[in-house]
Amino acid sequence: MIRTFFTTSALAFVLAGTAQAQTVLDVVAWKGNEAEPAGLPELIEKFEAANPDIDVELTYVARKDVDKVIPPRLQSGNPPDVTMVDSSLVELWGGAGFLKDLSTESDWYGNMIPAVQNVMTTDGKIMVFPLEVIGMGNFVNMDLLAQAGIDKAPVTIDELTAACQALSAEGIAPMIFAGTFPAMLFVGANGIDPANNTSAKFGMGEMSFVEDANFNASLDGVRDLVAAECFDPELQAGLDPWATAPQEFKSGNVAILPQGAWNIGGFSSVDGLNYQFAPMPSSFTEYGLALDLVGPGWAIPTEAANAEAARKWVDFFAEEENLNVFLEAEGAYSPFMGGKATMPDLATPYTEAREKGSLILWPFSTLEFPKPLQSEWEDSITGFLLDIDQPNETTLQRWDDTIEDNL
Amino acid sequence: MRARNSLYIFTIPALAVLTLFFIHPIILTADMSFTSFKGIGAAEPVGWKNYDRIVSRDRYLDAIWITLWYTVIVVTALTITGMFFAAVLHRLPAIRNFSRAALYTPAMMSFVVVGYIWQFLYSPLNGGINVALRDLGLGAWEQNWLGNPDLALYSVAFTQIWMFTGFTCAIFLAGFAGIPEEIGEAGKLEGATSWQRFRYLELPLLGPSITVSVILTTIGTLKTFELPFILTNGGPDGATRMLSIEIINNLFGQYKFGFASALSIVMLIIVLAVSFIQNKVLRDRENVT
Repeated sequence: MIRTFFTTSALAFVLAGTAQAQTVLDVVAWKGNEAEPAGLPELIEKFEAANPDIDVELTYVARKDVDKVIPPRLQSGNPPDVTMVDSSLVELWGGAGFLKDLSTESDWYGNMIPAVQNVMTTDGKIMVFPLEVIGMGNFVNMDLLAQAGIDKAPVTIDELTAACQALSAEGIAPMIFAGTFPAMLFVGANGIDPANNTSAKFGMGEMSFVEDANFNASLDGVRDLVAAECFDPELQAGLDPWATAPQEFKSGNVAILPQGAWNIGGFSSVDGLNYQFAPMPSSFTEYGLALDLVGPGWAIPTEAANAEAARKWVDFFAEEENLNVFLEAEGAYSPFMGGKATMPDLATPYTEAREKGSLILWPFSTLEFPKPLQSEWEDSITGFLLDIDQPNETTLQRWDDTIEDNL
Repeated sequence: MRARNSLYIFTIPALAVLTLFFIHPIILTADMSFTSFKGIGAAEPVGWKNYDRIVSRDRYLDAIWITLWYTVIVVTALTITGMFFAAVLHRLPAIRNFSRAALYTPAMMSFVVVGYIWQFLYSPLNGGINVALRDLGLGAWEQNWLGNPDLALYSVAFTQIWMFTGFTCAIFLAGFAGIPEEIGEAGKLEGATSWQRFRYLELPLLGPSITVSVILTTIGTLKTFELPFILTNGGPDGATRMLSIEIINNLFGQYKFGFASALSIVMLIIVLAVSFIQNKVLRDRENVT
């Protein structure tokens, strides 16, 4: 009896000691919920198995709520141990001194894609471990294209206009070109020359959109698409790009949809939807232009209570096999050089364009274009679609004014 | 004297709550509106720059105008439709309770749900309304309901009117219930038609209900955010961009907390001014009638 008592007490003591030694790693992210698991449940399990003294407590906070939830915690000295950030949050929180420098001496830093490394490094500091770059281009319904006698996703302007004419002749709606996001992708892909990317100069007001031949030609290119019957501009102007447009593509009502690769999971779950993800046709390249959006990453707040465990979490993602789980679930590319391809075969046209170097980093995700310009692009391009005959200057001047206003 | 003083003491808890949760945040917002605060870090004072920007840019003056015009449309329509249904249901007691509940149902639904449902109904591509028009042989009436800048504001307003007609109807039905039955019977004995009884007997007596309905719907509509945000996000090209959308975009899209605070203060002043004027005019009108 006494022996049982002592044994039980000793066991309880040991267990209590173990529990006390357990570190609870507080991780906040806008991925990892049921709708967008991003491989995190699997990765957390693996991380905890590799680090038995750490319990990961993942809190899902929607991106739009992060701005409300995290700043009070950062300012009150009670931040999460690790938080998901994007480039604008790195600039804001890092600039205010709330994020740790993860050090340019880190093993993974030197392996970053140079363009990503360049935009993520501020004053010699790297305050984020980037997780992904996400492609943006055209989703192409190959069955609808086949009905028009085309077997290849269009990657040049000529191929796109030819496809539009053929689809239109068959009575198939060729393209979604909603005035906001989808139209922006085309205008950006035809206004930014990948061989001489001057986005930062536009953002700093050193170059003018009105005087730029490329952006003028880009708007002219939209008129060419209208002439090729790709879409009815007035009909597209008010189309919702996030709900209605993807639904139309999923329903097989339209052949081409400019959108982001984050839709791959949703589209692939639709039975019978045979599609490819292709780069945006651009006058600058015969391969189509891959528009890479620099996605989120992990950051460690300066006052993180468990900084050492947080560092282990970041380093865990720096291992290629772990990061690949995340990338495969996300339908995204690695921000690091080399490594195993994680994108599905349906994204081959996009991947090929990237491999040929026909890509740009989307300037709104690298902050080369300031945030206010994005809403002005959306508004002004919608206005342009509503009055396609207006001079280019009317649209482009609004962009210049926004830049000037933001300086 | 002591009794009067003790009465004031009883107001202290209410005043404390009011000060803590209403007055104090307003003062903080006003204070923040004179800074370039980004939501985190230090707040640099910028004087009147934020307010100067509001009055010197067409964009923000347009947003104020759109907000006011939208309010006029919605409040007028809600008052008329609410009163119409209330007057009809007042005369049809057999279906009154059922109809009141049915009319009120949209007001109980989430803005997000209503917004997405109507977005699909308004869609120019196979949207419910256009398809219905086509099927009815009225294809010529098909519209780009949310994409046409001349139409978008009215489309959004229609959704809000559909949603809240039951709310104003309930207010007016309560008003009708407060009118003594003898008045209506006297009117009938004098040979007044249904319209005459409504126009000359019931309408003047509905004054307090009109005041309550108009003030509540005005305040609610001036602050409208959800429906225009979900249906159009302020588009196309700013045609439905109200002050509330500007505030949210500046706050969480661009991290301009200082500037968004200035816009909020402008909005507060507009809501207070409109409510004060309405209250004064409607109360004076009640006293005259």
